[in-house]
Amino acid sequence: MTTRQIRFFSLLRRELYRFWKIKRQTVAAPLLESFLYISVFGAALGSRVGNLHGVDYVVFIVPGLVLMAWAMNAYMNNASSILQQKMERAIDDQLTSPASPLELLMAFSLGGFVRGGMVSMLTLTGSALLVDVPFEHPFVLALSLALSGMFFAQLGVFTGLRAVNWDDITFIQTFLLQPLIFVGGVFYSATLLPAPFDTITKFDPIYYMIGLVRYGTIGFHEIDITLALGGLFLVTAALVALNVRLFTTGWRLRA
Amino acid sequence: MPAAPPALQLTDLAKTYATGVEALKGVSLEIGDGELFGLLGPNGAGKSTLIHCVTGLANPTGGEARIFGNDTRGHYEQARAAVGLAPQDINLDTFLTVFETLDYPGGYFGMAKRDRRERAAELLDAFSLTDKRDTRTRFLSGGMKRRVVLARALMHRPRLLILDEPTAGVDVELRLELWQYVQRINGEGTSVLLTTHYLEEAEQLCDHIAFIDHGLIVDRGTPSELTQRYAVSSLEDAYLQLIGRTELSRAIATDTGELTS
Repeated sequence: MTTRQIRFFSLLRRELYRFWKIKRQTVAAPLLESFLYISVFGAALGSRVGNLHGVDYVVFIVPGLVLMAWAMNAYMNNASSILQQKMERAIDDQLTSPASPLELLMAFSLGGFVRGGMVSMLTLTGSALLVDVPFEHPFVLALSLALSGMFFAQLGVFTGLRAVNWDDITFIQTFLLQPLIFVGGVFYSATLLPAPFDTITKFDPIYYMIGLVRYGTIGFHEIDITLALGGLFLVTAALVALNVRLFTTGWRLRA
Repeated sequence: MPAAPPALQLTDLAKTYATGVEALKGVSLEIGDGELFGLLGPNGAGKSTLIHCVTGLANPTGGEARIFGNDTRGHYEQARAAVGLAPQDINLDTFLTVFETLDYPGGYFGMAKRDRRERAAELLDAFSLTDKRDTRTRFLSGGMKRRVVLARALMHRPRLLILDEPTAGVDVELRLELWQYVQRINGEGTSVLLTTHYLEEAEQLCDHIAFIDHGLIVDRGTPSELTQRYAVSSLEDAYLQLIGRTELSRAIATDTGELTS
């Protein structure tokens, strides 16, 4: 390996090691949460709702839960890792190293991306074992999950850089992300909502991410797939560019 | 043959914080390759800010810093690769064990796995940390944590070692061990920039010394040049004269006289 590769993989290994060391908290707990949603909403509510757009209700909610698992874990991992290292000033190890801003950003981003991906894939695999989950458009599914995961990983990095205390992170999670995810249609289809809620939902960016993952999984869609994929790619790229800029200037990292 | 570039060259280095505090007001300084250089000054004089600007923890607002000829902004990769920093405040990652605290930063500097293992074992031995190898750093005593911070700074065999108040709050044993180690690696060619409040030790250890106050270098020279220039017998008296607190020197002398009479 070259010096640069050793450096990058050491930075990344540090981020992966951090969440793996406390895997009960970072992997097992969110996995349990996903399966509680499937059990409570899927099994209990599903028997009353029955079919939704041609599939069992429990199957209909799986894509949203898979996306939610990736989104929340990628966000929380990166935001908390950066804030904790900032508070302890342990991040000075990375900042005084020869690593470039892009290397630092990608190592921090991929930590949460991998954690989110792990929880998400375990949720998807577990669901596929419990219920009959079709994989109608695997390429769209993989691409939309990966792009959404990277978007939330970048959002976590941005929040971690911006945060000065834990409240800054949980505020975004509780008052922004969770409402947007739930309103985005994890548990329902926007076409079933009465006006004006069906229109309001369409202003929620997470609605489009769930729509993409749902299309990739069960084939149902109520959005323009190409436009949604293009838009997701653009906002993720914009967030990456913003974070590269922040690492380059040392925003809230270097005095 | 061209002369080797200095270990550290600062030209009009300035730093004004967002709060408006002017911590460095145009510092120019040169530390030769292989030199053991002391930077002395009162609290708040700008020592740590200078170190932060050199190591990339702060963005200078003016001037430039070069490490072995590499601009710390334009060629930060080469510049930072040459520096090892032991900061004043203990900043250990509480998730990691002592070994991991050396191993990860070794990787950040591109050291291969086998080299990291060998170097970590060497440093654990040198700083009497071998039996704490697998202990998480949060469970170490203050003195042990300081040893880990010093070992970490040396992990990638830096050509320029920066020690910011390395002996603050440590016992005599570690202080003596550290100075022995620093003298040894300096003898082997490592350049050292040291800030300390122990002026007597700085006088004995350092080849050159600079006094910094209110963000400016106010004097510099070898320890003997400085004591001669101020017509005093110790660096401490020269320092007190420089900061205009000679009454403290007299107070100590009077106190000592009273105790011994």
